[in-house]
Formats: sequence, C-alpha cells, structure tokens
Amino acid sequence: MTTSLFFLLIPPAIAAVLAILVRPYTRLVGWVSVVCAAISFAASVALGAAVVNAGVPDDLVALSALWRVDALSALLAVCIAFVTLLASALGPGLDAAGEAPAQSRQFRIFMNAFAFTMLVAVTIQNVALMWVAIEATTITSAMVIPLTRTKASVEASWKYILICSVGIALAFAGTVLAYFDFVATAGEVPGALNWTVLRESARLLHPQLLQTAFAFILIGYGTKAGLAPMHTWLPDAHSEAPSPISAMMSGVLLAVALYAIARWKAVVDAAVNPWFTNSLLLGFGLLSVTIGAFSLVIQRHYKRMLAYSSVEHMGLVAIGLALGPLGTFAALLHVVNHAVAKSMSFLLAGRILHRYDTTEIGRVTGLLRVMPWTGSLFAVGILALVGLPPFGLFVSEFLLIRAAILAGRFWVAGVVLVLLLTVFASLITHLNRMLYGEMPSGVEIGETRSWPVVALALSVGLLIVLGVTLPQPISMLISQSVRGVIR
Amino acid sequence: MIADPLSQLVMLGSSGMLLTALIVLWRKGIPAYVTAYRWQSWLLAAITATVGYYGHDPQLYWVAAVLLALKGIAIPALLATMQRRFGAEREATPYVNTETSLAIAGALVLFAYVIARPWMTITTLPTRQGLPLALALLFVSLLIVVSRKKAMTQVIGFLMLENAIALLAAVGTYGVPLLVEFGVFLDALMGFLVMQIFVYHIHETFDTIDVEELTRLRH
Repeated sequence: MTTSLFFLLIPPAIAAVLAILVRPYTRLVGWVSVVCAAISFAASVALGAAVVNAGVPDDLVALSALWRVDALSALLAVCIAFVTLLASALGPGLDAAGEAPAQSRQFRIFMNAFAFTMLVAVTIQNVALMWVAIEATTITSAMVIPLTRTKASVEASWKYILICSVGIALAFAGTVLAYFDFVATAGEVPGALNWTVLRESARLLHPQLLQTAFAFILIGYGTKAGLAPMHTWLPDAHSEAPSPISAMMSGVLLAVALYAIARWKAVVDAAVNPWFTNSLLLGFGLLSVTIGAFSLVIQRHYKRMLAYSSVEHMGLVAIGLALGPLGTFAALLHVVNHAVAKSMSFLLAGRILHRYDTTEIGRVTGLLRVMPWTGSLFAVGILALVGLPPFGLFVSEFLLIRAAILAGRFWVAGVVLVLLLTVFASLITHLNRMLYGEMPSGVEIGETRSWPVVALALSVGLLIVLGVTLPQPISMLISQSVRGVIR
Repeated sequence: MIADPLSQLVMLGSSGMLLTALIVLWRKGIPAYVTAYRWQSWLLAAITATVGYYGHDPQLYWVAAVLLALKGIAIPALLATMQRRFGAEREATPYVNTETSLAIAGALVLFAYVIARPWMTITTLPTRQGLPLALALLFVSLLIVVSRKKAMTQVIGFLMLENAIALLAAVGTYGVPLLVEFGVFLDALMGFLVMQIFVYHIHETFDTIDVEELTRLRH
C-alpha cells in the first residue's frame, strides 16, 4: 500500500524537479517525465486493485495517518494519473522540431507539479491539507495558461487565478469554521482535521454552524469545480490553456474539486439532515447544466464549446451526488467517463488548432478530408460527450436519470433530459459544420505526427468498453466509493 | 462584560484590521492601499502573538513571526515595488462608487454580526468577540475584489481576504495545526508571486492594469 502510494506521488515530483534543474531544456527531460507519468499510472492501478481486493476500504491506512487511500481516492487517482500520462505523452517538448525549449521547460515543470498537487489532494487525509493541495493546483496550472502570451491568454490566466483563489479561500474559511466547531465542542485533539475523525464526531457538532461551513465550502470548491454561477473563469481558462493542460483541467481538476465537496458532504450529512446538502447540490447542478446547455447553443469557438460542455457535465455530477447511493454511483462513473472523453477531445482540439490556426468553428471546415483520423476521432469524442451509445457517458447519464426517477424526483429527470437534448442538438450542429464542407485554402492536408492518434484511439476503445460492459474492477471500485461516502 | 485584557486586545486589534479594509474602499490611491495592508498584517501578527501569550500556546509565536515576516514585511515590500511602477493609476471610477461602497460595507458588517450570533453561544473563548469582526473583514475584502477595477487593488483585496481567514482561525480556534498553517503560508506566498507575475503580464500586454480592458473573451 505505502509502496504504491510512494510510486504514485514521487515520480511527478521528480519529473518537475528535474525540469527545473536541467537548463537548457533537453528532450530527455520530456521523456523522463513521460516515464514518470507511466510509473505513476501503474501505481494508481495497483492502489485501485489493492483497495478492491482488500474489501475493507476504511482500514487500509491508520486513522491517524497523514495519508489515506480509500476507494474514492483510488478512483480519482487512477483518473488523474491516466489523463496526466496522456497529456505528458502528447505534450510539447518531445520532438526534435517543435516548440521553443523555454516553453517546453515551463510546460514540463508546471504540468508535473500540477499532477503532483492533484494526486496529493485526493490521497491526503487531513481536510485542511487537502485544501492546501487544491489551492496549489490553481497556482501550478495558472502558470501554464499563458504559455504563449497573447491578450486572450493573459486575460484568461488573470480571471482564473483571481476568481479561483478567492473562491478557494472561501472554502478554507468553511474548513476553519468546521474546525472551530470541533475545537469548541471537543477541545484540541490531534488529528481533528482528519476526514475520518471529523466524520465520526460530526454527530456531536452544531448543525447550524456546520450548515454555514458547508455553504462556504460548496461555494469555494464549487468555484473550482466550475459550478454555475461561479463558472465564469472556466471557458476562458480551458480554451486559452495549451491543449494538454486543458485536458488535465477539464478532465480531472474539476473532478478533484467535486471530490472535496463529496468528502465534506459526507461529514455534514452525519450531523444535518442530508436534505440540506442535497438541495444545495441539486440547485447548483441544475443551474450548471442549464447554463452549460444554452451556452453551447450560441458557441462559436470549438475549445470554448468543450469548456462549456465541462460545465454541463460537472452539473450532472453534482446532481448525481445529490441523489443518494444510486445517483452517487452514476456521478462517479460519469467522472471516469468524462475524464476519458474530455481529455481526448481537448487533445484532438489541440491538433485541429495547430493545423487550422483558428479556434472558430466557422473557419474549420472539411476536417474529415484535411485530417481524416483526427477528424473521425474528434467526432467520436463529441458523440461520446453528448451521451450516445455505445460510449460510457450514455450509461452514466442513463443511470443518473434512473436514479432521479427512483428517488421520486421526476421533475429533475425531466429537466435534465430536455437539457441533454439541447446539448445534443447544438453539439451535433457544430460538429457537422466542422467535419464537412469546403477545405479552406492554404491548409496542409494529411496527418502529421500520427502516433498521438494511436494513443487517442485507445481512449475511444476505453470509452466503448466502459459503455458496453462496465468492467468489474471499476464497478467494484465505484460501489465501494459510494459506500465510503454514504451511510 | 468581563474586562479581560485578552478579550479587549483582540477586539481592538480586529476592529483595527476591519478599519484598514474600509480605508481601501474609501481612498482612491494605490499607495494608501499598500500602507493599509501593511498595517493590517502587523495587527494580525500582534493579535496572533497576544492570543499565544494569554492562551499559553507558544506555537502561535512562531506563526506570528512568520506572519510578520511574510505578510507584514515581504509582501508589502513587493507590493511597494509594484506600486512604484503602476501606482500612478488610481481607482478613479470603481464599479461601485465610494459612498455606496461604504454603505454596503456597513450593511455587510451588520450581516456578519447576524451570521456569527449563534457561534458566540457555542464557545466560551475570551476571544470570541473577534469572530464577527473576522467575518465582517472577510465580506468587506470580497467587496473590494468585486467592486474595484485595478488588478493591484484586486490583489490587495485577496490578500486581505487571506488575513480575514487567518484572524478567524486565530480567534476561533487559537490557530490551526502548525503543519496546516505552514502549508497555507506556502500557498499564500506562491499564489501572491504568481498574481504579481500576472499583473506584470497585464501591464506589458495592455499598457494598463485596469481589468476593464480585459474584455476579449466573451460567451
């Protein structure tokens, strides 16, 4: 267990330090960072397997320990490590010809630091240190957004760091309030900020104070998770960041913030009627899906389109978390599916941007003839994101709506269905405009650097497997996660 | 009310911290904001040390020392350097004008007292009078961030928000565990440095630090 955790966390840290130390940048640093990401991914899978086999998720690491990996942590760690590996392997700084060395160096430093902070956030047990790690994700990822400095990227990075730092500071205020309640009730106990301890003692705490604390926490981490109406930074940051970073931010960083919310929800639900946290999550979730869906209708840029689609999907996850065990299962499965589909789509969008040199949907035409493989895979990515079978997101969205109906919330199911149809119609329209039509003059035809396409085809395979069979280990990991946060 | 020195000193210090935030709403020149932030951080360090002295918690001396070095000296020095470059830009026309801002701030302070009322009953700490003031400072700092247009003012608003949370932790719980405290300091420092880099980026790209110019990305 400890060994796997070590190999999960240390390789990205080593890769980041190496990229700092080696000046000027050499391609070797890039390849070492890919190898490190691969080791980290292997370790995350080993952790997941250990958690599934051990069967008792709560006792893997001692209660008082700094680190704690239960099923939910392992699930998130696998997603993070997978997307990091993809981003690392397809990121700048591996080819002889390519980006400027200074940019590659900056990318490798902060991408690995970013991955490290996310992995720490999901494996650390102290909720205040979890906050420290999540705040650090903002700092490390913000540094990569203006990799090529334009007016737009400067603006995006400023909005991102300011709105997210302020938001996340509120989450810390909520954490301090909960700790204040704990200290006022039980006195200063070592390990009082450990999630398990907090949860065990939550019954003794004051419901009213915990409600205030949760409101702060939900707004704080909700800002980071891109829940509306605090999502305003998201489309800018995700569309202006270099594509591998967009893939990480959209694919897993949002999920890490929702992970923090799920952890706190479990604590607060032990003290307050779950109706309270559920209604809040449902409200923010529905608003996010609504805003995401209607922003997609009017979207003119394909990277922003993917970003708003993330707002929509995070809204769905928030709704799922509010719908009891079945809904939580659907939400966590949706996190996995979304991580795979969105990271793939953003990386492909990066290839399209590189070729067409524009982010406007209207100016990308004839994609299927210009880049047959990239175009087809991008189409598959979008079809997966709108929730068509046989891809994984169909299953998780189906389970989500089923959970809403079984929970007796028919209107939630109805509203979500209508919004999903809106998303479907607008994304397919945008996709059609990109795939077909006249090829613009002056755009080179044919695929270059084709091995990334092979890597991304694996993502498609994964999405189909998730959609058709839902492999046993993953469903076990998710059901154990659900049992971990819901009693 | 018991005339306990700790209680009185905390009240005095917290009120002073709130006052420095109000100064930011009231004045228009960036140099005044830097001075206000410096004073606020010194007060925060003093409150932390006072709580440590009366609460017999020597750990808090370390926290106070780091607070003083980081937020009382280092960050204000960096802010002063920035201010020498961009200080000529004034908050001439904030989104919310001065009078309205101060009126809203007054309402926020009242609101903070309403929210913090139930907290007072669950604790017997002599420092509990500082809780509503810390919350009020938090709200006023948020107001500064959302109602002002210069990137530097927004940074100072964010720094004051961090001070508000540190005050909340000091008066509510006599400080969070030391490991957490230092993690938070590290984040605060790194976060500030990145924000500082970005303010320079904005100035180089837009020739101003007015965030109203940042309007390229819409919808």
